[in-house]
Amino acid sequence: MLKDINKIRNYRELREAYSFLLPLIVFILAFILLPVAGAIFTSLFKDISFLEKKFIFFENYKYLFKDPGFWQAFRFTMLFLIVSVPLEMIFGLLFAVILNQSIPFRGCLRACVLIPWAIPAAISARTWELIYNYHYGLANFLFMKLGLTNAPINWLGSNLGAFSSLVISDVWKTTPFVAIILLAGLQAIPVELHAQARVDRANFLQRFYKITLPLLKPVLIVALLFRTIDALRIFDLVYVLTMGGPGGVTTSFSMYGYRYFLAGDFGYGSSVSVVLFIIALGLSIFYVRIGKWGKEVI
Amino acid sequence: MKCVRLCQILVFFLIIITLLAGCARKDEKVVTFSVGGAPNELEFWEVLITQFEDQTGIKVDILRQPTDTDQRRQGLVISLKSKKSNPDVFLMDVAWIAQFAASNWLAGLDDYAGEDSIGRGVFFEKVMDLADRYKGALIALPVYIDGGLLYYRKDLLEKYGIKAPPETWKELIEYSLRIQGDIRKTNPDFYGFVWQGAQYEGLVCNFLEFAVSNEGGINFEGDKILLNTPENIEAVKLMNELITKYKISPPSTFTEMKEEEVRAYFELGNALFERNWPYAWSLHQHQDSLVRDKVGIAKLPHFKSGKSVSTLGGWHIGISKYSDVKGLSWEFVKFVTSYNIQKRLAMELGWNPGRVDVYGDRDVLGKLPHFAGLRNVFENAHPRPLLPYYTQISEVLQRYINAVLAGALSPEAALLVAEKEAQKIVERYK
Repeated sequence: MLKDINKIRNYRELREAYSFLLPLIVFILAFILLPVAGAIFTSLFKDISFLEKKFIFFENYKYLFKDPGFWQAFRFTMLFLIVSVPLEMIFGLLFAVILNQSIPFRGCLRACVLIPWAIPAAISARTWELIYNYHYGLANFLFMKLGLTNAPINWLGSNLGAFSSLVISDVWKTTPFVAIILLAGLQAIPVELHAQARVDRANFLQRFYKITLPLLKPVLIVALLFRTIDALRIFDLVYVLTMGGPGGVTTSFSMYGYRYFLAGDFGYGSSVSVVLFIIALGLSIFYVRIGKWGKEVI
Repeated sequence: MKCVRLCQILVFFLIIITLLAGCARKDEKVVTFSVGGAPNELEFWEVLITQFEDQTGIKVDILRQPTDTDQRRQGLVISLKSKKSNPDVFLMDVAWIAQFAASNWLAGLDDYAGEDSIGRGVFFEKVMDLADRYKGALIALPVYIDGGLLYYRKDLLEKYGIKAPPETWKELIEYSLRIQGDIRKTNPDFYGFVWQGAQYEGLVCNFLEFAVSNEGGINFEGDKILLNTPENIEAVKLMNELITKYKISPPSTFTEMKEEEVRAYFELGNALFERNWPYAWSLHQHQDSLVRDKVGIAKLPHFKSGKSVSTLGGWHIGISKYSDVKGLSWEFVKFVTSYNIQKRLAMELGWNPGRVDVYGDRDVLGKLPHFAGLRNVFENAHPRPLLPYYTQISEVLQRYINAVLAGALSPEAALLVAEKEAQKIVERYK
């Protein structure tokens, strides 16, 4: 009798839980899973707007792995990820720790740090375009005023220059995002822990490594995950600043795929998206695994 | 209770779905016109639409698009790929009409045009044959036409005793060096020649003008694409040397220089020669322009053996195959390409109409005397290859020519690889 009542109660609770989850599930199905499935499906076709549609299985992927343009985009995007994300994490952590101290004008400082993140990417990219401008850009003006160079520098003109300019702009824009997430994480760490550590005469660095960092790990992983996925699909900044130049060395993964969609080659464009999706998924699973491992240790 | 809540949620979703469905439904009598451009252009279109609505009683909805060509194309590709019935009418860049036509996205206009006798001789015939007829069927009409021009500083050439603008690239270099050296003493930012060298479609338009004026270009021998030819190598080499050897074009040519950057640079009085489209003329004559009344236009220079060439540009109007109001849409197309409207396009925006007859109009010539010479330029403009997959070939060329301008590759090496990659594209899409 009692068992039955519990069963019914459980059933009701379950039903209620699902009714609350329903909108979310519908949303994810309609706007995430369906498009992904659609892209995977389309990528198996020769789907070119001006040619006959044909099922070709993995031909698009075969072509893709042999295409030097694909590998160039792959190399650039990975390099961009490897360089920009760690910088963002380091600076973000630094800002978060500083902003978490009780310093004067803390509220004001926190707001200031957030400004770059609040500016739409395309607009901040335009701003950086003006800074890097060869003829009247701020960068050349400062460098010449400070006597660091006699002639103006064509910042976006060399492979290294274009790459670093993109990294700098991206780090400037997204460090605040990392900082704000980590700041929330820092504030969740009980003050008592630090107080106790102080009693035990642990210095700042010891407290940072033994208390702050381990407790911050889950939040760090979340920030890392977001930044990694964002860096993988970088588009707006490149589109505005370099258009993939000079000579195509800064063509990102998304830009590479985008061009095929424009040209009406939907099958191939989809296969590029699918490869990007698989890389992002793989990295996400990897990060989540690290996160779990961290918890077990604690 | 809980069942009621579930019902509430379901009803809520039903309402949203109905609302969304309601948005998609369209009044049969409305023509949707998709157009982008600068704010003043969009304003102009809105004025035209009001006039059209008053004249015909047909309602036109304007679907605003960005200025950027790629983004305008993207919007149209998405609607047409998903077979949407709107937009009904839209403008297309001449570089992608071939793709739209080959994709069978455009309605045939012959049935309509026949009735309204859009005869030969009204529009630029060569342009019509190149861009507006696909497999013999009329699929679009030119709204305005573009072709590359050489702008030069009349006052400076005069001051240094040069009687006529340069005919050959060699003369252009010679004049630039002579004048640039002198002016640089007071203005270190002064350069001889500014043109579009950033990695984008404009670079290929410029490349064609150099290459075809040397009897090169993007040519085919059967199914084989020819890029790696001595003529093209010489052309790309010259493009690089303008920046690196003669230093008459700024180092930022291959990173920053697109149409607007080039126009602004010339307008500040910092260049002797400029390659740009005709739209720059009216802006150079604007009150704020520092080169007002000091500018002349000429045909682009050529190599010793070749002749002057401008790349054909411009926008054409077409009707979607999926439109359910094709008859009404045609009325709008007819209106936009009518003599009076085309004349207003020239008078108010300074655009170059697709109709040939407007170039002889007395009012137009009174306000825009340079139109007399433009007619000739457009009649002989050189089209980009009319292939559905042209964009892909252009993308390869952009990358490799830009790499040469950046000094990362030699012209020989770049064109060798570019030809190989382009050949793969030809084979993929043919």
